[in-house]
Amino acid sequence: MSLEQFKNRNVGTQNYKKLDLEHSPTCGWCQFKQVVSRTFKPELFVGLWVTLREMGNALFRGKMHTTQYPFEKLPISPRYRAIHDMLRLLESGHYRCIGCGLCEKICISNCISMDTRYDENQRKEVSEYTINFGRCIFCGYCAEVCPELAIVHGPRYETASEQRASFSLFEDMLTPIDKLNLQQEYDGFGAISSNADENIKKTPLAY
Amino acid sequence: MSSARNITAKTINLTIDGKACTGVFGQTILEIARENDIYIPTMCYLTKVLPIASCRMCVVDVEGVDGMILSCQEKATDGAVIHTQNAELYKERQNIMKLYNVNHPLECGVCDKSGECDLQNKTMEFGVSGQNFTTKEPSRPVQNWGHISYDPALCIMCEKCVRVSTEITGDEALKVKFGGYSSTILNVKQDQNLSSLGEAAAVCPVGALVSSDFKYSANAWELNQIPASCTHCSSACQLNYEVKGDKVYRVTNNAEHASLCGAGRFGFNFANENVIKNKEAFTSALKAFNDAGTINFSSNISNEEALILQKLKELKGYKLVSKEAKDYQSFLKAYSEVTGSTLYNGNLKALSQSRAVIVMGSRINDDNPMVKYHINMASKWHRARVAYMHSLEDSSMQNIVTQFIKYEAGSEEGVAALLADTLLKDIELPKGIQTALDNLDIGNLSAETNIGEEELEALAKSLLKKSGFSLVVGADVYAHPRAANIAKLLGLLEHFAGFNVVLVPPTTNALGVSLICELDDELEGSTIGYNVQGDFTLSAFGEGDLDMPAMNQQEGTLTSIDKRVVPTNVAISYGGYVLNDIANALGLNAEYTINYTEQLPLDKGFEATKFDALPNYFDAIGNENRGYLLRAQKASANRKIEEVEELSGLDGVVVYNCNHMDQFTPFTAQCETLKRDAYLLGSGQFATAAKVTDGDTVCYTIDGVKFERVFKIDTSLKGTIALNPTFDMGLSSALLSSYRFSQVDLERVGS
Repeated sequence: MSLEQFKNRNVGTQNYKKLDLEHSPTCGWCQFKQVVSRTFKPELFVGLWVTLREMGNALFRGKMHTTQYPFEKLPISPRYRAIHDMLRLLESGHYRCIGCGLCEKICISNCISMDTRYDENQRKEVSEYTINFGRCIFCGYCAEVCPELAIVHGPRYETASEQRASFSLFEDMLTPIDKLNLQQEYDGFGAISSNADENIKKTPLAY
Repeated sequence: MSSARNITAKTINLTIDGKACTGVFGQTILEIARENDIYIPTMCYLTKVLPIASCRMCVVDVEGVDGMILSCQEKATDGAVIHTQNAELYKERQNIMKLYNVNHPLECGVCDKSGECDLQNKTMEFGVSGQNFTTKEPSRPVQNWGHISYDPALCIMCEKCVRVSTEITGDEALKVKFGGYSSTILNVKQDQNLSSLGEAAAVCPVGALVSSDFKYSANAWELNQIPASCTHCSSACQLNYEVKGDKVYRVTNNAEHASLCGAGRFGFNFANENVIKNKEAFTSALKAFNDAGTINFSSNISNEEALILQKLKELKGYKLVSKEAKDYQSFLKAYSEVTGSTLYNGNLKALSQSRAVIVMGSRINDDNPMVKYHINMASKWHRARVAYMHSLEDSSMQNIVTQFIKYEAGSEEGVAALLADTLLKDIELPKGIQTALDNLDIGNLSAETNIGEEELEALAKSLLKKSGFSLVVGADVYAHPRAANIAKLLGLLEHFAGFNVVLVPPTTNALGVSLICELDDELEGSTIGYNVQGDFTLSAFGEGDLDMPAMNQQEGTLTSIDKRVVPTNVAISYGGYVLNDIANALGLNAEYTINYTEQLPLDKGFEATKFDALPNYFDAIGNENRGYLLRAQKASANRKIEEVEELSGLDGVVVYNCNHMDQFTPFTAQCETLKRDAYLLGSGQFATAAKVTDGDTVCYTIDGVKFERVFKIDTSLKGTIALNPTFDMGLSSALLSSYRFSQVDLERVGS
């Protein structure tokens, strides 16, 4: 695209379309008439009625539109990337994290750190897991790379804290065991698609 | 292994993928391809052992030959035209990968090998995106074998571990249990918890064999690899400390070309940690140095530190005392008088290629496992005759020793004389030496040493028609009162009979120290002890007056048994003072310890190379490019053999200072991962002779060091000599440096 039209600063030669406005009143009487006709239109009462009706709805019918932030919060899109949540398996209640270390590896601000060990059941167990939210840029890579959908972005977007480098421990982010039934499946980046079932490739297990 | 052992080097020319390549007759196609940077995928091929040929991934197409050729074991022929990549080969290799993936658990996320796994890499490379085949999976639980654990479900039966266990480490613990899909690896020596199996885990291409301690503690990609050299014994093997957050998680090595013993692999936690600069201690150290007359040190230090000590000696006139290095130095000196060269001629590679090996004066499997590995390689690859001469039989050597010759403890001079006499029989010698040998009273020597003449005859006979002999000489003889004459007698074998002689240095850097330092015999005035108890003690064990860094907290060079100066780097940080700080305060001037690397004495064979310029790698075909080789210098030769002195045998209760194979020094004693129990071990016969029973606590004194140990009967031992470990004695352990056999009075405690 050429920049010609922008470089032409001669307003007079351009095609402006003027709005069809009334002529401004010229004499004092004409001005008075315009004020009166604009002030006393019946639409005023339509507006007053709307206000009155909504006030009634809000007060007596429970249809309040105001959100009492920070006591109330609006629902947030599942794709919003806020403070991480660690999810549990719904059946057993065990945390989903298998300690594979991919989130730690992919993290571009190097804010995830984890330690794993060999536990009594010969499984890999996460012994330490922290996210440094002073560094986290909420890019969502960790949630995307997680093969178990164990680390996800939750809806907690208030990240102000007394310290810049505020750490979060595994337990802080983990779904409390008594709130397991309230755990929401994650729909954001890295989540399985809605038609995932159709795309499953079966491994032949003959036995 | 490389086929450099072929003596007649006939060059052949062939074309691989359109590239003209030259090789030597006897080399395999794969070897030539690798030398020429041509990639042929393999799964089971391990350069350091003979071709296994279990995977068939290395198939190539040779023009004019029907069917596919296994490049790993097929010798290349002159004029061959070879294609390594085409659609058919790709299909074949892809099918092999599909079969490797049958039922292989898709749990890479929790597999230790993930990120460095051959199966993962090759599955990706050949685009195998699903598991197309399956079979009934038998129940195969994970087995914990101690140092390592085995998961049969992950095993791809490449057999690398079995071959390493047989051909390299010689423990022969791993076997294949054949049974089609349910084939598995068996550990037939599970009760012994062999640390040498770490070598088998190192070559495992998948996560089937992993270190039990490391398991699940970190992922491969999180660890920083610090290239270093092992500091436990004089082999100074190549290794990488794998570090995360100032903690060593594991030790790996270039397992394709080099090996590492159990202590090297699992003994890495010996750093002197949490040290800060203690100004007071430093001031008192300077005061002690200004007042001191002697520096007494263990030779487990770097070449640079040895040079600092030597320079301090020149500056302040200290006496430098390091008993084991001094003995070694005197031995080398006497040896050089016969050979005319300041160093012995042998090295480990030549040892592994020899056809006959004589071991003398060392319990070699415990003293230096890497030497034993190389003897084992000679035995497995060249069916070498191995004559093991010692006062104690070693059951762990049984499978490779062809002739065990037992001699009386203390009679090493006679043994050396008998060896020289037997092996130099048909060789023309200078007159003086010939008369000296002729004058030997063979009958008397044979009686004194307890070696039968028929044993020597058998030895001579077994060496007949063979060439490529090696002689391994161990630490027993260096501290022998008649060491000088032993050295000369053995020197004859190198000089006149062409033996490849390896004089195993008794401690990590005994060779380096003996070349760099002018050592003294006697202590004088007050002593500074460096890793030895002294009036003022510098210690890397954390129990002295001033802390010093352990060897994995320093950079510097070590001189190995191969006469190679190898670099090692800092794996764990150290916050305290180092020897260089003291030296600078006393008047020397160097910013870092490694500034001394280029000043190492040229006249002793060192090179004036800067530390940072020292290479530390193996190339694609396994050539060792680590540091540089010492150049042997000419020495004045006067080939005079003294008469063999009347032998004074040891009577009564005799113990032999010898550590378990996993232990060398107080440094290894700090490693929790190694076997650390220290018992006085003896046979049932010893127990009867010494009137002790299994489980008794006994007390005895050697070189003024008092021991209190529990006595245990070890059924694998024979004879009337007990094994006394010394590794756990901390700062006193370096005081024990006289002749390793000693006569002691056992006193029972608390009975």
